[in-house]
Amino acid sequence: MTQREETRPDRERTRELFAQFIAARRGHEAAPDKPNSQHEHLRAELVVVHLNLVRFLAVRFANRGEPLDDLVQVGTVGLLKAIDRFELERGVEFTTYATPTIVGEIKRYFRDKGWAVKVPRRLQELNLAVNRAGDKLAIALGRSPTVAELAEHLHAGEDEILEAQELGQAYNLLSLDSEVSGENDKKSQTLADTVGVADAGLALLEDRANLERAFAVLSGRERVIIYLRFYESVSQTEIAKRLNVSQMHVSRLQAKALEKLRSVLAE
Amino acid sequence: MNPAVEHAAPELVELRIPARAEWVALARLAAATVANRLQFSIEEIEDVKLAVTEACTAAIQHEGHGEFILLTCEALADSLRVRVRDNGRPSVRIEREPMNFDEARVAGLGIFLIRTLMDEVSYDVHPQHGTELLMVKRLGPQAG
Repeated sequence: MTQREETRPDRERTRELFAQFIAARRGHEAAPDKPNSQHEHLRAELVVVHLNLVRFLAVRFANRGEPLDDLVQVGTVGLLKAIDRFELERGVEFTTYATPTIVGEIKRYFRDKGWAVKVPRRLQELNLAVNRAGDKLAIALGRSPTVAELAEHLHAGEDEILEAQELGQAYNLLSLDSEVSGENDKKSQTLADTVGVADAGLALLEDRANLERAFAVLSGRERVIIYLRFYESVSQTEIAKRLNVSQMHVSRLQAKALEKLRSVLAE
Repeated sequence: MNPAVEHAAPELVELRIPARAEWVALARLAAATVANRLQFSIEEIEDVKLAVTEACTAAIQHEGHGEFILLTCEALADSLRVRVRDNGRPSVRIEREPMNFDEARVAGLGIFLIRTLMDEVSYDVHPQHGTELLMVKRLGPQAG
């Protein structure tokens, strides 16, 4: 009940702010080149008033591999769009109106990153494989793939894909002796075997927690390269072929990615 | 695509979990599994999972929450219907405006997110039997 009392004034104040802002916006639209400090001022105030909503929404997407600050930033872009388009006559709360715009902006950011398939981590390598396949299939299909398509592509069960997505956070600790199921024609490897192919620069990577943190700084393409190079021992030339870029480019990207990993791990 | 789907719908999955945060992941997984039966895309499944999380969290967090959450997932031919029911007493009476801050008080800001992620959202409030949130996600043209 006390909460109710507290919310009312905010709601009234927001409406009041919007009434003033929309009037100023009309003036601004009529003369876009003329400096309009009232328009700017009210716009800024509306942003501040609604930053909590942006944060709330950004946090919901923060487990998908992009830094929270970036999500808040793109979410704020969505908020600005909503503020610039909102009309009081619509008869809906601004929050109702703005939420889809903000979420849309955040989702678009993931898609633009080529990282549309956002999978909380379980096995880093299965996760990476799912992402890599997700990117690849998304390009091939022109839409986000289904779990069945991903499972078929990765020779994994659909439940494994779902589990990798779902239970990731609960099972971050993974034994080095756990089996990494390869393709059928390969003999089964343990995680320790695959770690062994890493070069000296990656010797630090035993600490999975650090590794996960470090991976978060890599772009989608960099993750794919590091994954293929050090988890699957694919040659740079072969990676270049798969990504349809030059071997030199792969070499540069790999050097850059390793540099990023080293600097994060050194922190 | 998946022959199982043609014969699957309608299917009903019910899950009763303690109204505690550590069980929410199971509700997410159950909803994701049913969504997958309908061949939603991986991005749509993430939407469903997020919506279920918000709904469960709301049921757990509001004061006077109940002991359990009953999750019901129905795979229909063209849509997924998810119901999240709790047996707590509703802490705030919901006004029948389509969307307002009083409704937001019941589900927190999460309700705004749920409405963005799902195609249809509605509430049923029983003073004695708790609150039920119904969410529907329709299959897009690309799936199925």
